[in-house]
Amino acid sequence: MPDGSSRTHKKFRSTFDTVAREHAFRHPPKDGSTAPILNEFVTPHLESFNALFDDSGLPSGDGDGRGLLSLGLKDIGERVVFDGTGQLGTESGQGGWGNRMSIWIDQVSIARPMVPEKDKTATERKVYPTEARERLSSYRGRMNIRICWKIHHQGEVERSITKDCGLVPVMVRSVRCNLRSLSSSSLVQHHEEPEEFGGYFVINGNERLIRYLILPRRHSPISIIRPSFTNRGPSYTPYAVQVRCVRPDQTSVTNTLHYLSNGSAMFRFTWRKQEYVIPIMLILKALVSASDKEIFEGVMMQDYTNTFLTDRVELLLRSFKAYSLFTGNQCLEYVGDKFRVVLGLPEDWTNQAVGIWLVEKLVLVHLEEPREKFRMLLFMLRKLYSLVSKECCADNPDSPQHQEVLLPGTLYGMIIKERLEEALNQVRSQIAMDVRKQDPSVDFFDNRYFNKVLSRVNFDIGSKLSNFLATGNLVSPTGLDLQQASGFTIVAEKLNWLRYISHFRSIHRGAFFAELKTTTVRKLLPEAWGFLCPVHTPDGSPCGLLNHLSRTCRITTTPLKVSHIPALLIAHGMTQPFTPSINGSSNLCVQLDGRVIGWARPGVAKQLAQNLRIWKTEGKHDIPLDLEIGLVPPGLVGGQYPGLFLFSSKSRMMRPVKFLANGRDDMVGPFEQVYMDIAVKPEEVEKGVTTHVEHAPTNFLSILANLTPFSDFNQSPRNIYQCQMGKQSMGTPSTAIQHRTDNKLYRLQTGQSPIVRPELHNTYAMDSFPNGTNAVVAVISYTGYDMEDAMILNKSAHERGFGYGTVYKSQIVDLKDARGAIRSSMPSLHFGLGGDINTREGDRQHSCCQFLDMDGLPFIGTKLNPGDPLAAYIDDTTGRTRFVKYKGDEVAYVDQVRLLGSDAGDSELQKLHVTLRITRSPVIGDKFSSRHGQKGVCSQKWPAVDMPFSESGMQPDVIINPHAFPSRMTIGMLVESMAGKAGAMHGLAQDGTPFKFSESDTAIEYFGDQLLAAGYNYYGNEPMYSGITGQEFAADIYIGVVYYQRLRHMVLDKFQVRTTGPVDPVTRQPVKGRKRAGGIRFGEMERDALIAHGTSFLLQDRLMNCSDYSTAWVCRTCGSLISLGYDDTSLGEVMLGGVSTLKAAGPSGEYCRVCRAQSEAEAEIARRSMATGEYLQKPHSQVRVGINSQHVLGRTVKGGDLDVVAVPYVFRYLCAELAAMGIAVSLEVH
Amino acid sequence: MNQQSGPSINAGGSGMGFGAPPPKQDTEYLCADCGAKNEIKSREPIRCRECGHRIMYKKRTKRMVQFEAR
Repeated sequence: MPDGSSRTHKKFRSTFDTVAREHAFRHPPKDGSTAPILNEFVTPHLESFNALFDDSGLPSGDGDGRGLLSLGLKDIGERVVFDGTGQLGTESGQGGWGNRMSIWIDQVSIARPMVPEKDKTATERKVYPTEARERLSSYRGRMNIRICWKIHHQGEVERSITKDCGLVPVMVRSVRCNLRSLSSSSLVQHHEEPEEFGGYFVINGNERLIRYLILPRRHSPISIIRPSFTNRGPSYTPYAVQVRCVRPDQTSVTNTLHYLSNGSAMFRFTWRKQEYVIPIMLILKALVSASDKEIFEGVMMQDYTNTFLTDRVELLLRSFKAYSLFTGNQCLEYVGDKFRVVLGLPEDWTNQAVGIWLVEKLVLVHLEEPREKFRMLLFMLRKLYSLVSKECCADNPDSPQHQEVLLPGTLYGMIIKERLEEALNQVRSQIAMDVRKQDPSVDFFDNRYFNKVLSRVNFDIGSKLSNFLATGNLVSPTGLDLQQASGFTIVAEKLNWLRYISHFRSIHRGAFFAELKTTTVRKLLPEAWGFLCPVHTPDGSPCGLLNHLSRTCRITTTPLKVSHIPALLIAHGMTQPFTPSINGSSNLCVQLDGRVIGWARPGVAKQLAQNLRIWKTEGKHDIPLDLEIGLVPPGLVGGQYPGLFLFSSKSRMMRPVKFLANGRDDMVGPFEQVYMDIAVKPEEVEKGVTTHVEHAPTNFLSILANLTPFSDFNQSPRNIYQCQMGKQSMGTPSTAIQHRTDNKLYRLQTGQSPIVRPELHNTYAMDSFPNGTNAVVAVISYTGYDMEDAMILNKSAHERGFGYGTVYKSQIVDLKDARGAIRSSMPSLHFGLGGDINTREGDRQHSCCQFLDMDGLPFIGTKLNPGDPLAAYIDDTTGRTRFVKYKGDEVAYVDQVRLLGSDAGDSELQKLHVTLRITRSPVIGDKFSSRHGQKGVCSQKWPAVDMPFSESGMQPDVIINPHAFPSRMTIGMLVESMAGKAGAMHGLAQDGTPFKFSESDTAIEYFGDQLLAAGYNYYGNEPMYSGITGQEFAADIYIGVVYYQRLRHMVLDKFQVRTTGPVDPVTRQPVKGRKRAGGIRFGEMERDALIAHGTSFLLQDRLMNCSDYSTAWVCRTCGSLISLGYDDTSLGEVMLGGVSTLKAAGPSGEYCRVCRAQSEAEAEIARRSMATGEYLQKPHSQVRVGINSQHVLGRTVKGGDLDVVAVPYVFRYLCAELAAMGIAVSLEVH
Repeated sequence: MNQQSGPSINAGGSGMGFGAPPPKQDTEYLCADCGAKNEIKSREPIRCRECGHRIMYKKRTKRMVQFEAR
């Protein structure tokens, strides 16, 4: 990666290499790749996946070269079950357990993706990713495990059976992929791009990848002050020291040491998502059966004058006296007894064995020896006490210094391991259940019984993994020591090449932090320099959480050989760790991957660190280059806890810099970088201080940020915007577009190589995937249509194809999911035109024959309007032909029709993939942008005759407004304009690499000279003439060539208009959403504006007439909206009989049911009282007069006095809802 | 919509009675892997006769495809 070749002073040397590129594209290399650097930057994905297997091809390092899966199997161990046939107290155990059967998984293998055995005809047995993509299936290989069991009985031997675990998704181009290490030309033969680099999985035709995730750095104890720790219980304090320990199989356990206010400490770990705390003394004693003196000396380390420490350690020791546990075995037994139930270990294990297991499997799991764990715990305890005494500060867990990366393969391996463990547990519990139920079939000595048990257990690990990759959701009983359970995978969208490659370099902080109110985690820290790109992060909610790796940042994936380092260091003056009486205050702890390997005085430690650095850069003493040498110097009170910390583990971020002492390449990690002096440019090297220098000053930028030309001239947010917009532009997503089945693909038809490009543009072979067009841009306010970032497109440029794009959409027709499909072996739906369709040419020919062929599939090249038939199929049960319609609201052309067979190629056509091509010529309202965060919307396609022209008769393709510049300060765009103009005139590919010019050697000068040589104005401005009047403008116009991107946001996808349309059935208000032809909400603030303006008619129109205007009958008497009743007046009003039948009603019989009922009741009472001659005394509260309504003048029967009012329909709904709650709404009608 | 109603009218017009088997289909497809021409009749499995591949492409139509150029 070091390409810090200083730029030779440019003498018109660079060209566009068009011929070479053309040749490379036509004849991709038969050995190796067209752009090897692209393979390099996905290596962490690939190698971490490869590391799962024994044949990973990675160096073995200190281990035996076994893959993570094998190591995981070793860690899972065996499960034990008893058949309960034993007698109490006999030899078969004092518990009467009976025969002891142990079960374990011996081997796991994942094969390459192959055609199933069923298919006999396929000549090519390998399955390639392109088939998975095109057939919308997954790229998977078969997984098998060998499960072994043995019964502890005389003469019994180990037995084993191979069990199928389903099809496991396989990473493309990994060691299990059939594309592994193919050359570019073979890749093209297999329908891939020549640049294909893999690193993703193909799931249901989608490319999905596991995103990098930031994790706490392994084996590095960090001190934490977190006030929430006090909530853990009484006497808990905010102080803690935490370390994330990783087993050889890359599964991790986090151990935390909490400081209690009484001076002692509690050890915390998690087991199956449940947290447990144990007094540290218990663990210390259980580990090495340490005496109190040993612990005291171990923590004090000769520093007897430190009364703070002595007090604490004394308290620590004293407080443990309450447990009355004195020896290590006592402690182990105590721990074992308490955790026996939780851990679920074999019943015949003693408490001590359980205690040993717990200490081995959950306490500092990266260390094997109890003595080493003990030393490390003492170190953590010392660090904790020094944190409490403010001798050292808390470490920042948000700093990359204390972070590493969760690699895709590692996570995948963890999940596989856990699923295997789960399957094994299930086998155990199945047998145990049978034994408990006293199932008669239980016979440990019978293979058939065991097979029967296995058949009851779900071994389909493949589908679990497919599900994980398809959803990104982690289903896990242990949580895998991760903070989140979802969002691990993303789709690698091939929107354009930039977006695609960015996915593989993106690194997320964790879903947990996205909800955090505090923004400290999002902060850009100086520690991230060179590892995370400061420019390439999205703005908005994921800002600062979703980062991208810097260009040169690598993630270590290979195991390193470091076992000889302790001996080497001891030979160079390090004190051995077991030496008694080391003075802790004058010695620094030397650790290698979280293991205390010795102690050294500060001077010696510094010398050791320097030696190691020289050795590793020069390859001496077998010191690996990727070793990280973190020397935290002492002497700073309140600084980081000092020591010499060496890291050789995987998944660390490392980056190359130049070591000045010997001019060699050095790899630097984020832990050590904090204490190093690395100059950015050779000029900045300070004698005696600087030790390293960057290979190139642009190395801290990500690939995308590096592609912005002259980004050092821009205001920084503009570069951030460009990183966003580069990923949204229509470009060339793929060169194998014919073999892609993406849901939506944007393609720019007229992509060009940018005239102004940084050097890295060539390095990363970006010319294979052009992302925009060089445009002649004039900065002038010309028509008035260029206000507010609008831009004017030259109509002739547009007609010549400027920014012409195409969208490819997929429509999948699956008869399996169609209506009328029968779920049986023989399908009842078949593609084709049935006998009920007249296919004979002539007037009577069925209209679908314009679109569909005899096989029921569309003609390729057919133009489809919305609703046209896309495919036809015959339903066997009805004998009728049915059609699948083109759903979509634009004119599309059928580009490709793919007939998809089944896995084994033995079933008839049931699934169809149709690629539709939608032309997207630029229209007014489409979005364009330069590479400097200057986006704009096309406002007019201005006729060429009316465009301004220069003295040589040149017209701009694009006109932008000068107001785009002053506030945004994108000087880079102005420089690009000049450089592009000069480059176009001289036929040069201009170098736009940032940080190449200086105050003394300015870009303006350089490109101005070139312009002058081409016969232009020095500063790039020219006299221009109005296209309309022909008059010369008063000012010279700045005109040049700028690379323009067409963004994928197009009006055709966005416009939303509505006059009338669908309404919500409940509220009768217009529905929401563009897809449903809905409206745009006229909200409260908009309403406020209308009120403030006093435009009441508009208000009425928006909120009533154009929304849910309705008329309703309201009763004038009771004011009710909901009591409307109707008399049937269709036959005329009945006026027969007595007056009592006379009922008041509206013109078509409307009446108020409440009022009428009330008046009728009152009339009845009145009538009754008249009949009996008594006057019923009305209660006073009711202020109603008991007069018969017929006796009231001008009034007929009550309840007929209704009025029509206009109310919003939703108000009527509200009234009804309120009535349901017993609230009557009464309207006053004036 | 008209497609839904279309067939019935058509069927009624020419009569279900003409019951002739669906006309002979010349259905040639291209194998996605080896590019061989394959004649796959309706209800036959999708499989290349040459290489056994399981994806077929439809050939471009021989009919005249003409659009109004505007």
